[in-house]
Amino acid sequence: MIEFLTVYAENWASWWPQIRAAIWVTLGLTGFAYVLAMVVGMLIALGRMSRSALLRGLCKGYVEFMRGVPTLVILFLIYFGLPSFGIVFDAFWAGVIGLGLSMGGYIAEVFRSGLQAIHYGQREAALAVGMTPVQAFRYVTLPLAFRIILPPMLNMLILLLKDSSLAALITAPELMLTAKDLASSTFLPMHLYLLVGVLYLALTLPMSFVARHIEARMRLGAAR
Amino acid sequence: MTLVEKIELYSLTLLKGAGFTIGITVITFCVAVALGLLFGAIKAFNAKRELSSLLSFTDAVLYLSGRLLVLLINVYVEVFRGLPALAVLFILYFGLAYAGLQLGSFAAAVLGLGLIGGAMLTEVFRAGFGSIHQGQREAALAVGMTPLDALRHIILPQTWRITLPPLANYAIGLLKDTAIVSAIAAPEIMFFARNLVTRTFDTEIIYLLVAVIYFCLSFPLARLADRFEARARAGVR
Repeated sequence: MIEFLTVYAENWASWWPQIRAAIWVTLGLTGFAYVLAMVVGMLIALGRMSRSALLRGLCKGYVEFMRGVPTLVILFLIYFGLPSFGIVFDAFWAGVIGLGLSMGGYIAEVFRSGLQAIHYGQREAALAVGMTPVQAFRYVTLPLAFRIILPPMLNMLILLLKDSSLAALITAPELMLTAKDLASSTFLPMHLYLLVGVLYLALTLPMSFVARHIEARMRLGAAR
Repeated sequence: MTLVEKIELYSLTLLKGAGFTIGITVITFCVAVALGLLFGAIKAFNAKRELSSLLSFTDAVLYLSGRLLVLLINVYVEVFRGLPALAVLFILYFGLAYAGLQLGSFAAAVLGLGLIGGAMLTEVFRAGFGSIHQGQREAALAVGMTPLDALRHIILPQTWRITLPPLANYAIGLLKDTAIVSAIAAPEIMFFARNLVTRTFDTEIIYLLVAVIYFCLSFPLARLADRFEARARAGVR
């Protein structure tokens, strides 16, 4: 056990700068992909509630497709497949786009169920007092839905952070790939993979505690 | 080769991997359900045991060991819910090999994904068992059933309504997650796809075919999940 730990002490100075840089890449991937996923999710959710049957069908198809196809396949399609059509992204942005599009399908469902849980009378009342449809959405429906949406949205963020490790397989220089590179150059796979495991836990555990706390509080609010 | 011929040839190769994908999904699903049922049951039934019902020394020992078990299960659940699947697979496949224990890619994949799934399903089954009133079990025992009979014939059938929708969704997620075991050289769909790509460079056709195959595999599961969800909602009304 002590021997195992001394390896970390000996190598820490050489590992840490690379690992620290990789943590930022992982966080960047997660952050940008999350923003993209929210934009895509909101558009798809609104599309699924639109009056046009064609738009509804297309958006439903999008959700079904993203629900049925592995994120890794989406990443490979964007990073390796799109260049055949002359569209080239570097690994980081291919990762952001792939993760964002894939997660967008799930977030669309979260948004939709949140928005549909709000009684239509709320919107009608807002329109009746003279708000425009956009204002009614912005000031009445959305804030009400926010409360229902928040806990699952936090869980989606945790999922996304974990899924960002898939970008290693399209050579985005994030935590997993950095660990893999270091492991093959130092021949210490157990040490490095355990280390990134601990780092991922250090990122995800606080988030899941916050998510659970908020979830419990929201439930309290709903019971009142 | 024409495009049609290519698609035919590539599909045949990729479908060889589909068998492995399905196999690994089914076996991992069974492992995860077994772990989830066991740990979920332990968690749910220990939550219901109360300090005030302690009568003797053996009761106290049972209570404390139950608490300890629940604590260990909670740690397991938190750890495996917080780790990316890829990290777990790399630890099991590359890390253990370094420590002298060489797992095959199939064993590493089933173990890794199974442990992750078990952590997820522990909470699913705990919620399922937790929703059944204690009186149900007590009534079953009172009419002379053994605890196992009570579980099998009274408690489990009632938990399915709550556990089936998340179980079906887990199966879909698992099927998709098996794509990453290609990273530890397990010969499933993605693995064959990557090999084909390095030989033919028809990247976009091959990965689109892969997407179609996964979609065809998961679509029936998704419909099943929808039906379970609709039925579970109908039961509440």
